[in-house]
Amino acid sequence: MLDGEYGWANQIAMKILAKLGDLFGATKLIPVQSAHLSGVSYKHMGDGAIKFLDEMASKGGKAQTRATLNPSSFDPEYLVKRYSKERFEKQTRILELYGKMMIQPTLTCTPYYIQEPKAGQHLAWAESSAVIYANSVLNAWTNREGSPSALAAALIGKTPNYGMHQAENRKPNVLVKVEAELKTEADYGALGIHLGKLLKDKTPAFHGLRGSDDELKQLSAAMASSGMTALFHRTATGEQRDLETISVEPSDIKKAASNLCKAHQMPDLVFLGCPHCSTSEVKQIASLLKQTKVRKDVELWVCTSRHVSEKAKTHIEVIERAGGHVLCDTCVLVSWIKDLGFNTIITNSAKTAFYAPTLNEVDVDLKPLSRCIQVACHQ
Amino acid sequence: MVVNSLPAVKKTLTGRGISPGRCKGLALVSTKPLSFLGGVDYNSGVVIEKDHDLNGQPIKDKVLCFPSGHGSTVGSYVLYSLAKKGCGPKAIVNQVADTVMVVGAIIAEIPMVDQIDINKIATGDAVEVDGDKGTVKILR
Repeated sequence: MLDGEYGWANQIAMKILAKLGDLFGATKLIPVQSAHLSGVSYKHMGDGAIKFLDEMASKGGKAQTRATLNPSSFDPEYLVKRYSKERFEKQTRILELYGKMMIQPTLTCTPYYIQEPKAGQHLAWAESSAVIYANSVLNAWTNREGSPSALAAALIGKTPNYGMHQAENRKPNVLVKVEAELKTEADYGALGIHLGKLLKDKTPAFHGLRGSDDELKQLSAAMASSGMTALFHRTATGEQRDLETISVEPSDIKKAASNLCKAHQMPDLVFLGCPHCSTSEVKQIASLLKQTKVRKDVELWVCTSRHVSEKAKTHIEVIERAGGHVLCDTCVLVSWIKDLGFNTIITNSAKTAFYAPTLNEVDVDLKPLSRCIQVACHQ
Repeated sequence: MVVNSLPAVKKTLTGRGISPGRCKGLALVSTKPLSFLGGVDYNSGVVIEKDHDLNGQPIKDKVLCFPSGHGSTVGSYVLYSLAKKGCGPKAIVNQVADTVMVVGAIIAEIPMVDQIDINKIATGDAVEVDGDKGTVKILR
C-alpha cells in the first residue's frame, strides 16, 4: 500500500500512519472500531486544508471504518443566515469532501452519545475532550490524534499500536488528592484547567473522585485544553497509593476559576454545550426555563448534536419557546461569534472559558449552568 | 577537460529520514520551535509568529532548520498549502520531529530529516538534504 497500488490517498494515509508508528515505537498497525475527525470548521481549517481534502477525496480516499466528524462553523438553520456566502460555500465544500470519503457528518464533539464505544475497543479519535472522556469514563483505548492522522486512520481503518493502545502506558504515574469540595460542573472544569497545566501528559489516578458523567465530561474537556492528558483513573487502587502525590486545595480551584472569569461587562451571549450537551443536560436546561423567558438583550445558545436534539425533542421545544436557540452541528469555539457582535459570554464550560479569549477574542465568565440560565432570564 | 563534479562537502550530519526526497538549498536556521498554524503567513510563507527569531523572513525555497514544530495539527495543512502555492520550504531539518511537522512534510511531499544538531548549521549555508538516508551535508 505504501507503493501506491491503492491510489494516492491511501498511499499518503499509509505513510502518515507508518511514520508516526516509527516515531513513537509502534510495532504494528491495529484495526480501529471508529475514527473521529477534527478539522471540520472552515474557521480553523482555512483554504489549505480544503485543497488537501479535495486531493484525498478525488484520489480514492474512502473510509474503511466507522468515521465521524467534529462540529462545523455554523448550523444549517440559525447561524447559516448570519455569515457571508463565501464562508457558507467553503464550509459546505469541506463537508462535501468528507462526505465523498464516506465520513459521516455527525458534526459533534460528543460522538460517544451517538454510539458509545465499548470498554477495551481501539479507536482513533482526534477531539481532545472526547479522547480523554473515551479513555477515562468509557475505558475505550485511543491516542490523542491530530486532524490528518485521524483521517489517515479512517481511510486505512487502522492505527499504529503505540501510547494509549498499550496497557503498560495506561497505568497511572501520579496520584491526585482533591481536598476541595466540588459543588458544580464549573468546579470540575476549574479543577481540570488547574490539573492540565500541572500534569502535562501524565496519567493521574484520583484518590476518590465522585462526579456524574456530565461533570466528568467538563473535567475531561478542561484537562485536555490546558494540558496533554489523554487518560485519568477515577479511583486509585491500593498499590497506587505510593505514587508521587499532588494535592488540590480549595484555594487552587478558586484561583483557577477566577483566572477563567475575565468578563468586565454583562454578557451578551449565554452559551451552554461545550462539549455538546447530553440528553440530561438538555433536560435540565428545559426544566429551568419552563416558567420563564430569555431576556431580549441577550442570546441563549444551547449547542448539542442532532442525535441528542432528536432524542430530546420535547425539552428542545421548551427551550425554544422560552426564547433560547438550540444549535446543532456547531458551537462557539468553531464559529465567528465576534463577527456577530458578541463581546462577552457566560458559560458553564471551563474549556470555552480557557480558549474563547484567544480563539474568539471575547471576554468570558465561568459559572454553573443554573447561574447561566438565571443570567439569561433575570429581568 | 571539464569535470562536472558534485560540490565538495564540508561536513555531513547524520540523523533520521522522515520524509523522502533529496534537494539542495540555502539554510534558514532558527533556535525556536515554530507553529505553522498562526506562525507562518498562509499566503506568502513569511514567518509572522510574534517574538520569533525568524519573524518577517520568507521560508520559500529555503532549507528550514528549527528545533521542532508545535501547536495545532491543522499546521500540517498549512505546510501542505504553502508547498502547493510554491511558497513552501525546499526541505525541513528538525532536532526532534513532532507529529505536526512529520505529517505536514509527508502530505506536502517535502524532504525532511530529524535528529540533527541544528547548531552546526548556519543561516546562508548551502546544504544538501537527503530524506531517504537521513543526512544533511553542508557544502563548501
